[in-house]
Amino acid sequence: MSEGDEDVTWVSAVDTRGEEYLENHRHQEALVKELRARLALSALGGPVTSRERHVQRGKLLPRQRVESLLDRASAFLELSPLAGSGLYDDEAPGAGIITGVGRVGGREVLVVANDATVKGGTYYPLTVKKHLRAQEVALENRLPCIYLVDSGGAYLPLQDEVFPDRDHFGRIFFNQARMSARGIAQIAAVLGSCTAGGAYVPAMSDEVVIVKNQGTIFLGGPPLVKAATGEVVDAEDLGGGLMHARVSGVADHLADDDQHALRIVRRIVGQLAAPLPTPWVTSESEDPRLSPAELYGVIARDSRTPSDVREVIGRLVDGSRFQEFKALFGPTLVTCFAHIHGQPVGIVANNGVLFAESALKGAHFIQLCDQRRIPLVFLQNITGFMVGRAYEEGGIAKHGAKMVNAVASARVPKLTVVIGGSFGAGNYSMCGRAYSPRFLWMWPGARISVMGGDQAAAVLATVRRDQFESRGEEWSAQDEEAFKEPIRQRYEDQGSAYYSTARLWDDGVIDPLDTRTVLALALSACANAPLAEPAYGVFRM
Amino acid sequence: MFDTVLVANRGEIAVRIIATLKRLGIRSVAVYSDEDEGARHVRAADLAVRVGATPAIESYLSIERVLDAARASGAQAIHPGYGFLSENAEFVRACERAEIVFVGPSVESVEMMGDKIRAKTAVAAAGIPVVPGRAAPDMDDGDLARAAHEVGYPVLVKPSAGGGGKGMRLVNSADDLADAVVSARRESAASFGDDTLFIERYLESPRHIEVQILADNFGHAIHLGERECSLQRRHQKVVEEAPSPLLSDRTRQEITAAALRVGQAARYRGVGTIEFIASSLRPDEFFFMEMNTRLQVEHPVTEMLTGLDLVEHQLRVAAGEPLSLQQDDVHMIGHAIEARIYAEDPSRDFLPTGGDVLVLREPRGEGVRVDSSMIGGARLGTTYDPLLAKVIAHGSDRDEALSRLDRALAEMVTLGVVTNTAFVRHLLARADVRAGQLDTNLIGRMLESGDSGGPDEEIAERGAAYAVAQLLALQTSPTSNSRFDVLDGWRMGEHARTSFSLVNAQSEPISIEVAGAWNRVQVSTNGDSPIEVRCMQWQPVGVGAKELLLTMNGRASWMLVALDGPHIWIWREGSTSLWRLLAPARPGASNAAHDGDVRSPMPGLVIDVGVHVGDHVSPGDRLVVIEAMKMEYTLAAPHAGRIDLVVTQGDQVVLDEVVARVAREPDVGAVEGVTAKTGETS
Repeated sequence: MSEGDEDVTWVSAVDTRGEEYLENHRHQEALVKELRARLALSALGGPVTSRERHVQRGKLLPRQRVESLLDRASAFLELSPLAGSGLYDDEAPGAGIITGVGRVGGREVLVVANDATVKGGTYYPLTVKKHLRAQEVALENRLPCIYLVDSGGAYLPLQDEVFPDRDHFGRIFFNQARMSARGIAQIAAVLGSCTAGGAYVPAMSDEVVIVKNQGTIFLGGPPLVKAATGEVVDAEDLGGGLMHARVSGVADHLADDDQHALRIVRRIVGQLAAPLPTPWVTSESEDPRLSPAELYGVIARDSRTPSDVREVIGRLVDGSRFQEFKALFGPTLVTCFAHIHGQPVGIVANNGVLFAESALKGAHFIQLCDQRRIPLVFLQNITGFMVGRAYEEGGIAKHGAKMVNAVASARVPKLTVVIGGSFGAGNYSMCGRAYSPRFLWMWPGARISVMGGDQAAAVLATVRRDQFESRGEEWSAQDEEAFKEPIRQRYEDQGSAYYSTARLWDDGVIDPLDTRTVLALALSACANAPLAEPAYGVFRM
Repeated sequence: MFDTVLVANRGEIAVRIIATLKRLGIRSVAVYSDEDEGARHVRAADLAVRVGATPAIESYLSIERVLDAARASGAQAIHPGYGFLSENAEFVRACERAEIVFVGPSVESVEMMGDKIRAKTAVAAAGIPVVPGRAAPDMDDGDLARAAHEVGYPVLVKPSAGGGGKGMRLVNSADDLADAVVSARRESAASFGDDTLFIERYLESPRHIEVQILADNFGHAIHLGERECSLQRRHQKVVEEAPSPLLSDRTRQEITAAALRVGQAARYRGVGTIEFIASSLRPDEFFFMEMNTRLQVEHPVTEMLTGLDLVEHQLRVAAGEPLSLQQDDVHMIGHAIEARIYAEDPSRDFLPTGGDVLVLREPRGEGVRVDSSMIGGARLGTTYDPLLAKVIAHGSDRDEALSRLDRALAEMVTLGVVTNTAFVRHLLARADVRAGQLDTNLIGRMLESGDSGGPDEEIAERGAAYAVAQLLALQTSPTSNSRFDVLDGWRMGEHARTSFSLVNAQSEPISIEVAGAWNRVQVSTNGDSPIEVRCMQWQPVGVGAKELLLTMNGRASWMLVALDGPHIWIWREGSTSLWRLLAPARPGASNAAHDGDVRSPMPGLVIDVGVHVGDHVSPGDRLVVIEAMKMEYTLAAPHAGRIDLVVTQGDQVVLDEVVARVAREPDVGAVEGVTAKTGETS
């Protein structure tokens, strides 16, 4: 391709009948199958007995509540649905809380719904983290918050990991206050318990709906009251809907049941001030010309096998068209302008190891996008920066730093998808979680760790061998292998997308086929927040 | 030969004639009414001239305007096609006066054969057997009754003018005669401006066999074999073929010879068709019915069998050339069958349809010919003839021709317009039809037994196709660039279930629940366990339509789905179904709120309104009359109540449009009932 070409429709070089493609396809399909199975399991919520009890009380299950709240058949961009998986003896699917961005009355809102079928909706450490993450999404994107509250408060056995620190339970209410102050609506529907700290969720909300004979709000429940003062009072009298609507004024609207409460919430959302205009220029959406279904076959099943990331981009963007920037310079980083579902994006995608030139190109491009109000999409597949004497002498550290700096300071929304490896400093320059992308997702086969398992094992083995050798001892190859194997295994476990998503290192593991949709939804969500004025001009690197 | 010829017709026949003109290097001139401004024949011609407003009487039937168009365009000849002015003696005369050649027989032939009674008399005089009956000028109702008695029931009451089955009635006993005469007179007056009727004996197991002749101005005439057109619905031909499976070689010789004698008697020139009736019970006997002094709709059957271009020969004869062909030069090879594709709905008693052609696919292939008037994306009105296209297949024998025709019809796609295509396939698949055991009542018996192709058994699959198309359609919403506006219930895991209800002419409303993404959907119908549907491939086609390769229930097939407002067209190999999306029931709203809606069963014109808003009606009361394609359809009150809403006379209505609403009034009704009882003291 020569400079001067305008919008270029990507011409795929992939042989969709080749063995490589088919093998990749089978591999990716299996990964997605596993993902879907995990999602389905997690979506069930708590154990069947809890769910039955919940329903018998006339309550909707939390997912049904979300469905009823949202506009019919509209999309819901759920956040970290697999949070907590593999943790807490797997007793907290989704960390006991459902969060995400959805549509109510035609506008994007952030929904937080407690799952009372999971340990009474109590807050595990990761529940807190997930709730706070949701609020962060709301804050960054100016999304009204809707809390569907049904929670017994902090999970007491782990109170030390839930209560005291800065980013613990109290931060929820801090966030509510700060968001409300910035005009981001806080709306709560009390559909069950709101005990102790949980009582502050409605109490700190702008407008509150409560379901009679079902929702309760109190700082101390009947058992605690009895223990503290000896007063005997039932839950409904102590903090029921009728009381709060009539007497205390903690609730503003009294609903007959869940459905009614959710209708009232929808009405409230309809009364909010209109969202701000989209800060960038959108165009008409267009399907990719290349079939997104081919993504499975295009993604190399082994992250060590090089593959052209433009084959991926071509299957994500409108009309399979993208315009490369500096196509001939630093080719291990692809930078290009494109549209996703009509939203303009600047894509930064790895196509090999980062060299100094690639980093400079990335820094330059990121600044361009920032100036032009074009959201950034990072497609991460990075083993790291190039190492070695020549590169260090060439100042790869400072060049890499420029890109990291540009990433950190860009005011436009950044969205990151880890499509392959996410290792070392590459993670930083490609907008890893620490660089506050508005959203970050992983493909099921993606890997994340400070370095690869083999490299870590090799590095540690080299250190160990040096120790042996300095003592004049032998270290057999067998012993070395025995030393390396558990390291590799640990990196293998901890590097998986599921390990990551369980710990909220990302906003979810996604089916590669959903990437376009997920990015498009996120971009629509991002468009709710205005952009600050840029602080610097573009530095030509 | 002429250098410019005007085609005084429209639709498939105009297109077909223009094709021959082009082939012969003759400049073609089309005419069109306002409704036909963008029609296919207009596009096909070298020049097209507007001849007037939409009603045929102001355009295609206007002799003056057609002649004006001919003069204005410098046409030396006018080809009249069939219908319209093709058998109008006035027109033939007017052409003569205007010194423009009428591509057809002389005015004398037209007049003689145009009057069915005169024709029969003349033909009988030439020694050709005619069906026992009585035909005399101006028979009054009493004459007709006496004639019927003489001839013996069952009889046919037929109009002296016109043809095509309009105004024709089968009467089985004297009791039914009076009614039949009244309606036949009315229809024949409306269609032909003449209500003269005659009576003819009705043959058992009758078969329609006609012979194509070709004659020049110099007394030379040949026949081009026979065609059998026994598959008719209410005297309207549906399937025609040649040769006839009934005739022995000997009878074939006799009938073609008889046809040539009829031509001689009429001093005929050009192409003409002599129609005979025969009985399956007596295959060696035949009777003259009438002669059509024009090109027939079904002429392609003969063309495919003989390899001749009948329009070319018409033109050559009209240009005064002698007929170079001898009888021995005509070789009939194999078998040819034609199916007429009508814009009519077999599931609604063949009511005329119409609409926008959302997706059009016409079959192609060896031995297949399609004469069509359709254009993808165009609107098909209900003003003119419901014949949309003819699909003709040729094979080395009848079986092969039938198979090819079936394949061709299976490939025919006309989404947006309900047609009889599936019905014809169903008809052609019948054992009796395949065995050549035909008669003109076969279709009638088939329909009476409730066999019109049957309801669609693939409801779940159709629903699935719709669901996938819907999900796909929603993938890109042209009016929005927010992915949130795409209503597919997208979720990171299993998608939100969306449900909808579809209804079609044969079915109760069907509820369909869908989960999943477009490429992999779980679809459950009426609460049945879900089937998985995978979309392997898709592409946009036509207007708002998509072609999908769907795999479900262990088979993969291409389906076409077109969305037109609440209407959903779904095609799958050989069968098209039309559905309506029911608005989702809202909580609290009564589903029964509008069960008093009276909907138009076809697109058309409201020609009469019998009630006003506020009127009280009883079940069966006539509310509105709608006219489409020269047929009238009366809509009656579904139950007692008060008229809440009704269309106005002159309104144009679309398929399924609510034309009236009858609100139930339980309280008022009860009071009235009481009053009636006390008043009449039964």
